Amino acid sequence: MSPSLPPPRNEGTPVQSTIMTVDDSPSMRMLLKAALTDLGYKVLEAEDGVHALERLDGAEPDLLITDINMPRLDGFGLIERVREQDRLRNLPILVLTTESSDEKKQRARSAGATGWIVKPFHPDKLAAAIRRVLH
Amino acid sequence: MSALPRAADGLTRVTIMQGETRVSDDPGVILTTVLGSCISACLFDPVAKVGGLNHFLLAEPGSGETDVRSLQRYGVYAMEVLINAMMAMGATRSNLKARIYGGASLRDGFRDIGATNALFARRFLRDERIALVGEDVGGHGARRVEFRPTLGLARCRIASDRPVEPPRIVRPPAPVVDAGGDVEFF
Repeated sequence: MSPSLPPPRNEGTPVQSTIMTVDDSPSMRMLLKAALTDLGYKVLEAEDGVHALERLDGAEPDLLITDINMPRLDGFGLIERVREQDRLRNLPILVLTTESSDEKKQRARSAGATGWIVKPFHPDKLAAAIRRVLH
Repeated sequence: MSALPRAADGLTRVTIMQGETRVSDDPGVILTTVLGSCISACLFDPVAKVGGLNHFLLAEPGSGETDVRSLQRYGVYAMEVLINAMMAMGATRSNLKARIYGGASLRDGFRDIGATNALFARRFLRDERIALVGEDVGGHGARRVEFRPTLGLARCRIASDRPVEPPRIVRPPAPVVDAGGDVEFF
């Protein structure tokens, strides 16, 4: 009897990638989780920057998507704290926010963000952005 | 948005049009809007004495937009813009209370657009754990809402008993829903 073959791998389907989403709005987290799950990603959720840092202690996501305006620790602070950790220095970070000012984009860039997406997010554009940073 | 001179009562009335959001910590301001099937959320923080009002519509009659998630994305966005503007003015999310108005019945095929708007607003507030302390939604007439943002007080009157006219959808100037999700890499 020949050994069983592994299931066919669907190239380009990021079934193994895990994305952490950080947003203080449960509604936004639900929408994001639905979109990302549809795309085949595993999703970890955090409700603000402090919660995200706690969850990152025991997790190694492939990508972090964070809001900016959050209580306790905002998106800028989160990015800075993540970049201070050697283990997470190269973790891609996409900002997903209602903000669109150049000043805030520049601040995110200086903090170490990988990219900036303006809400309301379009699933196709979000998917393309994720593919670009993960592959 | 147009700010009018202070009226005889000493208050300044600011009219909010569809797609707009306005917040204020000025006790001399009244935010006012006229609603048909659109919905307005009046949020306020009684501790910081900051309040705000938005005026939005999830779907245009005849637009063919039936993707529930797409509609939710816009609704969540409209609410988040209001909440963020309030937080920037000193409000605390956990202190927020809400009143909702509008959502008059407007049929588009099998769908009641006004009811859809009202349902979204209620669900959003429930999911976000924001206390809904007052509402006047549904029915068939247009409403005029006046909201004192620093006090959290609102007055809602039926402006017309006639069935509401189909609204023309207006999205905030930037970002708009079709252009939403614009991506910039650093």
